[in-house]
Amino acid sequence: MYKTTGFVSFVLRRFTGVVLVLYLLLHIWVIGSAVSGPEVFDQRLNAVQTPLFKIAEIALLAAVVYHAFDGVRLLLVNWFKVTDKRKNLFWAVFIVSALMVIAGGVPILLFMLESK
Amino acid sequence: MRIFQIQRVTAVALLVFMTIHMIVVHYPPFHIDFSIIVERMVNPVWKVVEILFLLSVLLHGLSGAYVVLTDYKQVSKFKKALALVVIVAGIVAFSWGTYTIISWRLPA
Amino acid sequence: MSDTQKTASVRIQRFNPEKDHKPHFQEFTVSYTRDMTLLDALHEIKSHQDGTLTYRRSCRHAICGSCAMNVNGINMLVCNTPIKEHINRKGMVTIKPLPYLPIIKDLVVDRTKFWEQYMRVKPWLIPSPEVPEKEYRISTEEVEALNKAETCIMCGACYSACTVVGTSENYIGPHALLKSFLRVLDPRDAGAAERLEEVGTHEGAYRCHTIFNCIDACPKKLDPTKAIETLRNLAQKRLAFEDAKKKRLTTITKAVE
Repeated sequence: MYKTTGFVSFVLRRFTGVVLVLYLLLHIWVIGSAVSGPEVFDQRLNAVQTPLFKIAEIALLAAVVYHAFDGVRLLLVNWFKVTDKRKNLFWAVFIVSALMVIAGGVPILLFMLESK
Repeated sequence: MRIFQIQRVTAVALLVFMTIHMIVVHYPPFHIDFSIIVERMVNPVWKVVEILFLLSVLLHGLSGAYVVLTDYKQVSKFKKALALVVIVAGIVAFSWGTYTIISWRLPA
Repeated sequence: MSDTQKTASVRIQRFNPEKDHKPHFQEFTVSYTRDMTLLDALHEIKSHQDGTLTYRRSCRHAICGSCAMNVNGINMLVCNTPIKEHINRKGMVTIKPLPYLPIIKDLVVDRTKFWEQYMRVKPWLIPSPEVPEKEYRISTEEVEALNKAETCIMCGACYSACTVVGTSENYIGPHALLKSFLRVLDPRDAGAAERLEEVGTHEGAYRCHTIFNCIDACPKKLDPTKAIETLRNLAQKRLAFEDAKKKRLTTITKAVE
């Protein structure tokens, strides 16, 4: 495959998108247990709030954040045709995503370590 | 063209809904259980917001999945079958999700 | 200033359909000066080292579009690229044919699909059915807007850098979409409706995923992505755009203000 920053951004966007869709369907199923009442719901939810899942949650956050910011970059290109600033925009997306993952992930890690 | 437009419109809607979702439901991190969620979800305004959120995210995600799959020549031969699968999955997911959202009530 | 002779290793992908099962690499050593281009190096190898080396070239000054190849993973024209800019730390430069197109021999690829997609967009002027009484007058701004699309030399660097071309069935491609954009925006052209119908589809402008490989690869620094985004907008506002074009055609023989 022809390797450029554009290609990396595209592959990451696709990959996070697919992961998020699969997660979404799973999420609808897990939350759907609410119709069976509080006991079943709390049981399901406890199963997905173990420390391992909390770490997976940070990965999920990274996927959402990257996909969202890269999507905003795409909207900017679609509407304002900013093709000459393309490298700057790619790096801006990577950096802002990394910062947000740290900003959101550190509280989750701390919370997980506290409640252990 | 329609898929492109759906993607862009739902993307903008999701920027709003996702921000709300992240702030209201997940920040700061806390242990989530039924009693915390039900307080919010019995409110009909929240029910409407969540249903709209669900609709946007399913449209965006499933149309995106369709585009990803039909991009590859090996798969694009089955375009019609894929479209059917995606539409059915969307209807099922939306129905089950909406039913769940409407069913939130304080336990007896 | 002396022209010191340095040597570089040129690694070329070879494939002879009469003898080889699959492509393989062959290394040659070339001494080069600071003015030598990659095409010069290929000539040197073919003239003095291996006469069977096969590649396309013609004008050798970046206007014919024949010599587009993949050098160290990037598509470019070899006639106007100095070899010294692409020698890596190990003193080597790797030349392969354009990706995603069937190889005929060595560095020569089969461009049939490339030209088929080009023909799909009707890359010629479709004039108005009314015979004009006077010559057409077009403003400087209108000409400048088309300048970049007009400069394209059809070298194929963008088409064979495009990831979507590589993975999908029938994507029209940045080269043809740029040319379609040229005609759609041309004030003399009356075929906007049929053009937008052809390219405003999932095989046309809506298949582009804004990866930008085309802009990176273009030896003339053109912008197919911008053209594709404009086509997308116009395809959505098709009726309004067609009205505007019809109006412009009624004034086209009047003097430009």
